[in-house]
Amino acid sequence: MEIKDIPQSTASLVLKDEKFGNSGAELAEPTSEEEIANVLRKANEEGKKVAVVSGGTKRGYGGLKDDYDILLSLSQYKGIIEHTAGDMTVTVRPGTTIKELQEFLSDFGQMVSLDPAWPEQATIGGVIAANESGPKRMKYGSARDQVIGLRVAYPAGTIIRTGGKVVKNVAGYDMNKLFIGAMGTLGVITEITMKLRPVPKAESLVKLFVPKEQVQVLKEFIVNIQDSMVEPASLEMINPALSKKLFNREVYTLLVAFEDVENSVRYQEQWMEEHVPAGMSVDVSQGDKAKEFWRAFATLAPNSLTDQESGSTKAVLKIGTKNMDVLTMMAVEETMTDIDQLEIEIHGGLGHGITTVILTGEESQVKQAIHQFRAEAESKKGYAVVKHLPVKLRKEIDVWGKKPSYFFLFEGIKKTNDPNNTLNYQRFLGGI
Amino acid sequence: MSLFKSRRKKKTRRDVHIEQMAAIVGPDEILFEKEDLLSYDCDGFTVHKAMPKAVVFPKNTEEVAALVKYCAAHDLPFLARGAGTGLSGGAIPLNGEVIISLGKMKNLLHVDFENRQAVVQPGFVNLKLTNSISSKGYYYAPDPSSQYVCTIGGNVAENAGGAHCLKYGVTTNHILGLEVVLPNGEVIEISEDGIPDSPGYDLMGLLTGSEGTLGIVTKITVRILKNPEGKQTVLAYFDNVEDGSRAVSGIISAGIVPAALEMMDKTAIEGVEAGTFPVGHPKDIEALLLIEVDGIAAGIDEQIEQILEVCKSRNVREVKVAESEEERGKWWANRKTGFGAMGAISPDYLVQDGVIPRSRLPEVLQRITEISEESGLRIANIFHAGDGNLHPLILFDSRIPGETEKALEAGTACLKACADVGGSITGEHGVGIEKKEEMRFIFTDEELDAQTRIREVFNPEDLLNKGKLFPTPSRCMDIKTIVKDTVAVK
Repeated sequence: MEIKDIPQSTASLVLKDEKFGNSGAELAEPTSEEEIANVLRKANEEGKKVAVVSGGTKRGYGGLKDDYDILLSLSQYKGIIEHTAGDMTVTVRPGTTIKELQEFLSDFGQMVSLDPAWPEQATIGGVIAANESGPKRMKYGSARDQVIGLRVAYPAGTIIRTGGKVVKNVAGYDMNKLFIGAMGTLGVITEITMKLRPVPKAESLVKLFVPKEQVQVLKEFIVNIQDSMVEPASLEMINPALSKKLFNREVYTLLVAFEDVENSVRYQEQWMEEHVPAGMSVDVSQGDKAKEFWRAFATLAPNSLTDQESGSTKAVLKIGTKNMDVLTMMAVEETMTDIDQLEIEIHGGLGHGITTVILTGEESQVKQAIHQFRAEAESKKGYAVVKHLPVKLRKEIDVWGKKPSYFFLFEGIKKTNDPNNTLNYQRFLGGI
Repeated sequence: MSLFKSRRKKKTRRDVHIEQMAAIVGPDEILFEKEDLLSYDCDGFTVHKAMPKAVVFPKNTEEVAALVKYCAAHDLPFLARGAGTGLSGGAIPLNGEVIISLGKMKNLLHVDFENRQAVVQPGFVNLKLTNSISSKGYYYAPDPSSQYVCTIGGNVAENAGGAHCLKYGVTTNHILGLEVVLPNGEVIEISEDGIPDSPGYDLMGLLTGSEGTLGIVTKITVRILKNPEGKQTVLAYFDNVEDGSRAVSGIISAGIVPAALEMMDKTAIEGVEAGTFPVGHPKDIEALLLIEVDGIAAGIDEQIEQILEVCKSRNVREVKVAESEEERGKWWANRKTGFGAMGAISPDYLVQDGVIPRSRLPEVLQRITEISEESGLRIANIFHAGDGNLHPLILFDSRIPGETEKALEAGTACLKACADVGGSITGEHGVGIEKKEEMRFIFTDEELDAQTRIREVFNPEDLLNKGKLFPTPSRCMDIKTIVKDTVAVK
């Protein structure tokens, strides 16, 4: 069993963030679970409101308040609590960054199969609470497929364990699921146990450059890929604006990742090269080059640490649709007018149905675009959540979109766990 | 006169509720006479039995909703039932429930290959889904041993696993959307069309594995997968269990993710060889491993080579790779019918379902051997070694007074052994009524309370599948009370 304390970060946290809100009148930086529980218990008794922060990349993600009474930072509560290589599981504190966690595991040839944005800043606690995922979700699944156990501090100060430390477990309700993506509104996650996978022995990235007029042919090719025996880890499509930025080519680009043993990866690369429709060009990056690309890819969207300059307005949308409707989302801008002061960068996974839209430009045009993307997503029975936006605009635009008919169940669950609305009040869907 | 009497007696079970429910589903879709109800007094967990008030067979969501509304309005306890293969008693009508059978809602509604999903009704049989899409090279991954008869609705309720979930995950990893009738009769649709990450709390994840206590699932969108290009299966025989367990760790630490990694011990092998699908395993080996690797064909050979090497370094007596699909099929039939095969060597058997961290396998198997010696009962071990999911099969004879209790006691002791090394009391069979008390091995009162309070949000009147999943202070099961009195609880 390996235990590793990771040095506390020296960077001091911005207590006040006027642009993004979700700030606090006072800062609590606990370094133990007991301290976390005490902060919550006291606040809950005194009727104070608590906001939770860790890496600080998601202060633009939901929330209608500029300030809470207390800003509870988990950024100093980090480190590996338990890692048994033979069990392929790890237990980690929430303030550990994704990069710290992956670097620790890579010494054992293992990894957490999550590739969210900003691994150097984003912490595992925040990634789980916001249910963040990346392009390789297609092969490995999302947070709900990796988390097998949690320890959670409830607002009343009790510590509740959910799940366990074994990879297969159906004892009682699968309470882990409640806290994944709950935006910290039901409890503060103090420990996370996850399944691990071996680091793939080889990887490569096949980039397919597709002229705009060939999008229909590409769609057919994607269906062929999925019907074939190749097993891509990603089928991430990139719109021409983003493609220009990344590759200096203003065409659609499809990012097809392969991760497996060497022979298998080479074979699949070859299959792609042999089957590419005429008119599309292919470029292959192997091993470290592929890794390097994905590292850069993870820093494409702005976050509340990087987006501190005044000037243009930035917004990031998370759109969920059926897999193939990602192509429709890619094309939304073609129907948009009055976007002369707006830059629209899009990538979306044809194997997992999540599209990310990065909007940069003049405020009213950003707002207009958000509504148009949402309308298009909803027409496909999907949704659009604005996951990065200044607090001023979050008060104007409902960043979570419409409430489902069963919203009363969400309210019931919130009331059960946090009857006084102590935690991350108004941070989530429907003002929960 | 006597004929008239018996008729009158028979009529007594028909009451106003029966009439009203018959009006909802039609007169032929309800059972209420005692002799018709007998086969619904238990499920795959046969130690406890109770009679339902009636069994109704709705044909669609509207009828399910109407029945639920009726039960809710008249304070009638009710529960949902699929094929009744559950092994923990989740579908046993402890409180004389109205059983809402989903056996007639058994259609495949839609397959969408482009988006890799299928929509089924809850009564659709698991294996039928794979059979319906295999011509296009697709399959549905979760494969519980009872997959030829168990329903996908039941799989959702229990969050069913199977031999191949080591690589591909359990039911919850394959569910994309659910239509649910809530305990008040309201119909809701979660993640309609299988849209990922619908905003809000993950009710789909919570409902999956809730053992029918939060709602009744009436439509399910599942993920379908492409068949792997290649597949190879290895069978390895070991002269001691320790070597077999170490081979399991060796394979995992080599960075291989097998599609399945199964183990059987000597007693289990004796059982399967006496069963319907013997394959001629040597009688004197102590353990066997069944290992399957799938994926891109070009990458499989080197993984098989590595597996063979690991086995050899762990003193394997004999190791072979299946030479044909037929041989592979035989090996799997032998394994998948393993539980039932115990009937060939013992009048009765009790299946347990504990989970442990993989690395603790040798010591827990040792403890199970001790439990067997202490109880004087033979225990066969068939298990998913790759994910640490043990299935001790406790062999006993219920005709011998006291032996059933002994078997239950030994089962509890096995679960305690799993809990003691940081494991769980159930990996795929569920808690039901069987393991309610054992929940205390792994959860504190506060943790149990956190869960029951969630149940109250969905099921405030507790009319739906009451008395399952959580320990209760007042127990109705005499047999288990005896067990509790004799087994030290943590």
